[in-house]
Amino acid sequence: MPEGYEQFVADRLDRLLRYATAMTCDKHLAQDIVQNVLIKAQRRWDRINAMTAPYLYVKRMVTNEYLSWRHRKAARDLATEHAKLAEIGPAIQDHATQHAERDAMRKRIAMLPRQQRAALVLRFYEDSTDAEIAEILGCTEGTVRSHISRALSTLRATQPFAEEALR
Amino acid sequence: MTDLIREAIAAEADERVDPRTVMAELQKKRRRKPFGLIAGAGLTAAAVAVAVTVLVPRTEPSINVATAPPAQPQTVLLMGLDDYFHTDAIVLVHVDANGALGSVSIPRDSVVDIPGFRRERINEAYTEAYLDPKGEDPDVAGAKSLVKTVEQLTGTKIDHWASVKMSAFGKVADVLGGVDVCLKAAAKDTFSGADFPAGRVRLAGDQALAFLRQRHGLENGDLDRVARQQAFLGSVVAKLAQQPDKLGDIVKAINPSVKVDDGWDVLAFAKQIKQQVASGVIPVGVGDPMTPGLAVDPAAVREYVKTPPTKDPDTCVR
Repeated sequence: MPEGYEQFVADRLDRLLRYATAMTCDKHLAQDIVQNVLIKAQRRWDRINAMTAPYLYVKRMVTNEYLSWRHRKAARDLATEHAKLAEIGPAIQDHATQHAERDAMRKRIAMLPRQQRAALVLRFYEDSTDAEIAEILGCTEGTVRSHISRALSTLRATQPFAEEALR
Repeated sequence: MTDLIREAIAAEADERVDPRTVMAELQKKRRRKPFGLIAGAGLTAAAVAVAVTVLVPRTEPSINVATAPPAQPQTVLLMGLDDYFHTDAIVLVHVDANGALGSVSIPRDSVVDIPGFRRERINEAYTEAYLDPKGEDPDVAGAKSLVKTVEQLTGTKIDHWASVKMSAFGKVADVLGGVDVCLKAAAKDTFSGADFPAGRVRLAGDQALAFLRQRHGLENGDLDRVARQQAFLGSVVAKLAQQPDKLGDIVKAINPSVKVDDGWDVLAFAKQIKQQVASGVIPVGVGDPMTPGLAVDPAAVREYVKTPPTKDPDTCVR
């Protein structure tokens, strides 16, 4: 058992699960991904631990695991997304409570393309910088900004009473 | 809209499976191993003592001014880190030749020029250098970057620095059997896990951390958090004064979380502090809702740090 690995897991597991759940919008998929990644990370813990920022690296592993998740799951994604789209109607009309507004936003976020959602979660949940996001997604900072600005305009365009909310 | 996005993402994240389930799965594949004990408390003990003493408004001189030798004026930078290499607490501390100590907090969302990087929230100065330390120890690279940034912002030469992981303060509260603070209003927030009634509250462990971390749902966001940090540390010192024998336990709890620059004789620094005369926050403008950050006028900051106003310790915070 590599030194420090257990401490890392104890410290970061909850945060990684939250991050993966926010990114995948699927807690069971998130669990699978985080478990697989942590097992992989354990095998090469000495190398990861010697890095400048082990947590960032593991987060990158989690992100890649999800973004490279294709095949059958991708098809299911689309179906769920359509189902979620159908649900949005009533939620939008019932914006009287903050709760409904937030849930509607959750559904709109769930429909974003995966890269964009990952960037969004890193920016607004993990408070990551463009440089960190670029490192995690393995793209340039320009691409990060484009992911986020596209995501924001999609969310803005689909937001009810957007003008009021932006004020 | 970004607040709503943050809330929605946090709500989604809250849906995660129970970490204990995952932990159990992982533990099937490995055996437990005890953690090593932490040693070498000397310097960090002093650093903690300083960090705690220095951040807190004091009314009585702790050393007889008349008999103490003259102090060597020094300026030091104290930084409190979150778990992601962000400096959530930034405090510039100056002790003058009379041993009088002044401290000025810099809100982490202050937008400033970060040398060698770009115009950004000051919070990124440490993080940016930490992630790209160019061969240096990342903690040291991060601290140096923040030191340079604050020097440029305030026009003040900084002699030494110390960094403390904020997560250690939960343990400090535990060791002291809880730390008392007073809240002007009830506060609840899912980001930090904060859930406090109005009035006097005894904080320990996670709730202490939540108190120090919460900025969502507070009228003045990070500025209220700065006030909370000062209130919390004030209470820590008051408690410690009642039970000084706990210092050893606190040092043990906080030791792995403190770093000090190589050349700093912390003990000598601590000894020359005789009284605290001022503690304040740099002047900041309002933030832009789309790019999070507080506008800062460097000229006003330079003027302010020369003579920060004396402030009555405000016992209740937001």
